[in-house]
Amino acid sequence: MSIAVFLESYQGKMAKASLETLKAATVMAEKLGISVFGIIIDDTVDTLVQEAGKFGVATVKSSAGVTIYHPTMYARIITNATKDASAVFLPATVWGNEIAPMVAVKLDATPVSDIIGIEDVGTFKRSIHGNKIHTTVKAEGNLVVTVRSGVFDLPGEVGGSASNEPISTETVDSDNFIKLAEVLVAQGDRPELTEADIVVSGGRGTGGPENFAQHIEPLADAMGAAVGASRAVVDAGWRPHGEQVGQTGKFVSPKVYVAVGISGAIQHLAGMSTADVIVAINTDSEAPIFKVADYGVVGDLNDVVPKLVEAIKQVKAA
Amino acid sequence: MKIAVLLKIVPDTETRFQLNPEETDVITDRTTEWILGPYDEYAVEEAIRIKEKVGGQVITVTIGSGNEEKSIRKAMAMGVDEAILVESEGLAGSDPLTIAKVLAEQVKTLDADIILAGKMATDTSDSFVGPAVAQLLGIPVITEISSLEVREDGVTATRTASGRSEKFESKLPVVLTADKSLNDPRYPKLPDIMKAKKKPLHKKESAISPRGAITQIKAAFPPQKAGGTKIEGTTEEVVSVLMDGLTTKEKIF
Repeated sequence: MSIAVFLESYQGKMAKASLETLKAATVMAEKLGISVFGIIIDDTVDTLVQEAGKFGVATVKSSAGVTIYHPTMYARIITNATKDASAVFLPATVWGNEIAPMVAVKLDATPVSDIIGIEDVGTFKRSIHGNKIHTTVKAEGNLVVTVRSGVFDLPGEVGGSASNEPISTETVDSDNFIKLAEVLVAQGDRPELTEADIVVSGGRGTGGPENFAQHIEPLADAMGAAVGASRAVVDAGWRPHGEQVGQTGKFVSPKVYVAVGISGAIQHLAGMSTADVIVAINTDSEAPIFKVADYGVVGDLNDVVPKLVEAIKQVKAA
Repeated sequence: MKIAVLLKIVPDTETRFQLNPEETDVITDRTTEWILGPYDEYAVEEAIRIKEKVGGQVITVTIGSGNEEKSIRKAMAMGVDEAILVESEGLAGSDPLTIAKVLAEQVKTLDADIILAGKMATDTSDSFVGPAVAQLLGIPVITEISSLEVREDGVTATRTASGRSEKFESKLPVVLTADKSLNDPRYPKLPDIMKAKKKPLHKKESAISPRGAITQIKAAFPPQKAGGTKIEGTTEEVVSVLMDGLTTKEKIF
């Protein structure tokens, strides 16, 4: 028996969420005394296989020559590669969330989605009602597990090497008519919100969309951070929905979360309160965000943020 | 065009929950406000827009435990034509795969061209049933879509995945799950609320029984972060204290 991990990659680059998922799978495998093997699907796989080996994976089943994502094909490759595994772990990314249910149906396995912890073999921690409640669930049978981004640490580098076991690329049924017609890579070089180590978010207190360009984005860029937003800001049309942090947006768990002009509604706190360090900048000293802030700056963002950007640039230049 | 919507009724996302005495789950009672799943509401709205554009019929499918009718009538007031409700507490609280099987069983009888669902259930935080129903029916799925174009023989949909924008094409039938930016759901008008009371709500039973493959053994409030440290003073002072913390203590820079 062994545990399979889908190591999601795009154009030869391993997703950070894949390595966190590897860490989660390794935690469970160690409790069972069994091994973990990786599954890689990409155009060229050699570098990815090496990277997996570096993080302690001994065997990778790889499907090379795949130039475009196709959910049904990915699900089939993963299912075929994991017939003998006791559990399959996938990152809870858009792709992972799309593929995992198909794999679970094909294997008639027990799905456990979006885990945030592993207590024992088959016993997982999850969060429900938009992070307001944490639960412990016990799952039986063969498992298909998805792992929330930003919760598990990256696995340690052990400097090993993985053996590569090519698996055939399945052709897609002609009765399954879907194709990914186009991929547009996001503009700019800010990190992706759910993968970023630092997130700078703005709320209604910023005063208007123009202040995102003037204050939030420069602060994010000075810190090498992703940009987030509160629901009020997204609903007002100031920022795109993809930036919304909270119960009906994205759950983030960065090392540092900077909340600027965000009061801290319960549904926003649900999306970010697991950050390691929380910085809040707000004029209202009674704002609920200060209850969770490690650094609660009471002040006007129009004064504080430019000075902060300046100070960060100085420190970084030194 | 026939459009089915997988619709879950969930506690309001603003609910402040209490735990049950066994600390295995939250308490829902008469004070709990039940609403259309926030993402399912985008699915309902999109289905109605497709119907308004190309004609057809919108039918919702819900598995429930007795709190659903009011919200289903709201969906009907928005423009849903008919609803199927499988009432079973056991199934409603079952594992996601069993739920997907029950939904697929009902959807199969509808012969729908498009099956819409929300991208995620906000109560259980599962993004499972959309793709699972597609797999059970042997049809394609495109999840978390933020735009949709429907033609007679297919759809084009876009979404954001890991920071990339992806554009998919699919023939019909297809399962689509809705993200927030897909549309702005309408508020039902009073005459439509009245009309909704008379629309058909079919109560069905399922032969599928829950598997009991997952048991929730504990529920708890997340550990509270020990925050609450405020920094006050002049702009220079607060920036200096904050920078000192971020560099010396947290070692961010």
